[in-house]
Amino acid sequence: MKFVNDRLLLLLLGFAVGLCALANACAQDLEGAQLLHPPADSWPMYHGDYSGRRHVSFTQITPQNVGDLSLAWVYQTNQQAQIKSSPLLVNGVLYFTVPDNIWAVDARSGHMIWHYNRPSTKGDHIGQRGVAMYKGRLYFATPDCHLISLNAKDGKVRWDKLIADVDKGYWTTMAPLVVKEHVIVGVSGDFDNLTGYLRSFDPETGSVQWQWNATPPAGTPHATTGGMTWMTGTYDPELNLLYWGTGNPTPVLNGQPRPGDNLYTCSIVALNPDTGKLAWGFSVSPHDTHDWDAVETPVLVDGSFHGQPRKMLMQTSRNGYFFVLDRTNGKNLLTIPYGPVNWALGIDKEGHPIPNPAKEPAPDGRLIAPDEGGLTNYRAPSFDSKTGLFIVDAHPSWSIYFAKPADGAYGWAGADYGLWGKGVIEAIDYQTGKIRWSHQLGEGGSGAGVMTTASGLTVTGDAHGNMLILNTADGKTLWHAGLGSPIQSSPISYELDGRQYIVNSSGGLLFAWALPQNRTPGQKR
Amino acid sequence: MNNLKGIRAALSIAAAIAAITVASALVTSANAADHEVKQSQVDTPAPKDSGAESYAQHCAICHGDQREGNLPGFPPLLGISHRMPNDKVADLIHTGKGRMPGFPGVKDGELTSLLHFLNTDESAQTAAGVVGGGGVLSKAGAALFQQNCAFCHGRDAMGGETGPDLTQSKLVRKDRTGDEISKVIHEGRPDNKMPPFNFSEQETRSIIAFIREREAEAVAHPGGRRGVSVADLQTGNAAAGKRYFEGAGGCAKCHSPTGDLAGIASRHEGLELEERMLYPRDVKNHVTVTLPSGKKVSGILAYQDEFTVALRDADGLYHAWLTNRVQFKIDEPVEAHVELFPKYTDDDIHNLMAYLQTLR
Repeated sequence: MKFVNDRLLLLLLGFAVGLCALANACAQDLEGAQLLHPPADSWPMYHGDYSGRRHVSFTQITPQNVGDLSLAWVYQTNQQAQIKSSPLLVNGVLYFTVPDNIWAVDARSGHMIWHYNRPSTKGDHIGQRGVAMYKGRLYFATPDCHLISLNAKDGKVRWDKLIADVDKGYWTTMAPLVVKEHVIVGVSGDFDNLTGYLRSFDPETGSVQWQWNATPPAGTPHATTGGMTWMTGTYDPELNLLYWGTGNPTPVLNGQPRPGDNLYTCSIVALNPDTGKLAWGFSVSPHDTHDWDAVETPVLVDGSFHGQPRKMLMQTSRNGYFFVLDRTNGKNLLTIPYGPVNWALGIDKEGHPIPNPAKEPAPDGRLIAPDEGGLTNYRAPSFDSKTGLFIVDAHPSWSIYFAKPADGAYGWAGADYGLWGKGVIEAIDYQTGKIRWSHQLGEGGSGAGVMTTASGLTVTGDAHGNMLILNTADGKTLWHAGLGSPIQSSPISYELDGRQYIVNSSGGLLFAWALPQNRTPGQKR
Repeated sequence: MNNLKGIRAALSIAAAIAAITVASALVTSANAADHEVKQSQVDTPAPKDSGAESYAQHCAICHGDQREGNLPGFPPLLGISHRMPNDKVADLIHTGKGRMPGFPGVKDGELTSLLHFLNTDESAQTAAGVVGGGGVLSKAGAALFQQNCAFCHGRDAMGGETGPDLTQSKLVRKDRTGDEISKVIHEGRPDNKMPPFNFSEQETRSIIAFIREREAEAVAHPGGRRGVSVADLQTGNAAAGKRYFEGAGGCAKCHSPTGDLAGIASRHEGLELEERMLYPRDVKNHVTVTLPSGKKVSGILAYQDEFTVALRDADGLYHAWLTNRVQFKIDEPVEAHVELFPKYTDDDIHNLMAYLQTLR
């Protein structure tokens, strides 16, 4: 009997261990359902969810108690590259990057679990925006254009595939986007006349599923090149459409060799994520000659527009205009500047700005607003549904643009010089484009993105390295902390063990903020 | 190539483990071999290239076949003698550092020839890099430049997103020792948004070598270059510029052609003059702070954000206050330049530029 009992016990034990392992595996894995409906204790993709709104439902930290916000922990990367990534949070572990490096850090304590380093000498090391995750695997783009899949649990490489040819002048910085069984990756590269594209990889094998080209192959007569896809897009599961912004045409400042609108550069495009086929495209800067990539987040909002329910897409574009589109068909609902712009003659019937030929770069210089960095850039905006405010870190600025025949028709093909700029958080009423409030950030400008919370907080940073928490209702500062170096990333938030955290970075440091534990509602001391 | 790097990284880890095992084995065998090695050193000097062999065996896997390094992971060893005395290099070889494993087995004759090898030919190669011969140093610099500098200054150092053309930079042209460039690299230019870079001396030298190479290239091919020459900025009408200066531009409210602007065109020219004209970056603003006691403190505004205001007083002393504790008033006449931006036509700018260029 004893023998039988032991065997039974062993069997039961084995069964239980098996169950645990299974349960554990389920928790470790990030399944499609969790990407569609991210749980509170996760930030499973670059923008937190597919909408790109960067708005969280948490109400623990409020305008009333934010004065008590304090540091939970700091993680020191001990290296020079600035953190520009948005961390992912899955199963209590944060994953964040700088070029060539990934860290997995315990979200509760801030201690390192593993670090992956893959030195590369080729490709621009300008920044790295973060990893994507699916079913326990991470996807990471390197400066020399490799897509690397790693086990999230230990950072071991599973496979290594090519996204593009670094020797042609491509590099990669962006956080891939996982949609169903597709890992979607974009490319960077402004210094050569190259075709921008999106490429979809099989998450399991890394084989290429499809590629969508923004522009015709280099060398096509009178056609543009360019249209780099260097920021993470968004996705509407109901329409099964992927939304992505494309970059500037090349040659960059010389528009003469590429007449016309230069589709699909400086555009917002809607693609079928299963096939890569274009559903529609909207040109945000037809025939751009100022390097104004339209890669800023295509934010997806469902709501009323002038009394009619709409599925909308909103973008504060680098060229200085705020766009609202009907995302079912790409039809324009609103185009309006959100700061100083002087390069367009007006807006055409379809809502495209009409570029002023007299404001193309010239041998003796043209005064242009905004500057080449644009009225905003890669830093993320946020949409607050309660107030209907689209909140963006803007950069009113002026510059001079030059181009002459000697500059040629390859790559940059001109020169431009910023004269002056500043940073300001603008809260834009999405139905009118009117700026409801603005908050000055200082000369030069800020690299900090924006996140809003359902409790009415707007989290961002100023030009000097202060983290700011503003009141979404009026833009007034509620709380701040100097982080030592200007912020170059967009904040995230999540709830763990009933405690709401806000995570951001400055320089090579990652910061986690929360209310003091003894004051967290529902927490035992 | 990239697989190679992976292998290289893996090998260096493997080497570290191997070095530990090998080292302990060597300690025992070295004693026995000690006498023999010394003997051979005296009797038959090591062949001339034994240092190269030792290098190929122990170092090349990470530091490259030509000592060019594999940045950022593995530093170039060319010019190592400029950075480190031989005894330090020897220590490093024996004990390792960071991810570099120690090689305690490399000693006596082998060590001497390896050190000798590390010191050879390096000056010739360095010189080749500086004069633009595509030398090893400038090649290492090119890799660093592509990673860290190219985004702003262009891949060919001739200007790109936001950064100026370095081949036309006055500072680069004047600074023949490289000290000034090195200073800018290490300290950055906060006013112009250039961040500081923490490169080693050797890395800095390699970047400077690359910039020099690009500079030589630009001088050799003046036709096809981008950038803005003085001749480009001569399209305006000086008389119309004078009228704008005295009238619509409102420039005469603060400036005078016989006062602060007298001889301005002799001091500045071309793009630099135009940029200064449109927005002078180095202007110091004055601030007066009124303390709760009613006492007033004045000086040059040293720092200001939403929460802190600071000034330097007449003695150069720095004072700071929380903005919610004091009243303060900043006098910033330079704001008039910002207010002009939306009012200018391009012709106004070109005319004003023509007028300023008459003030010699």
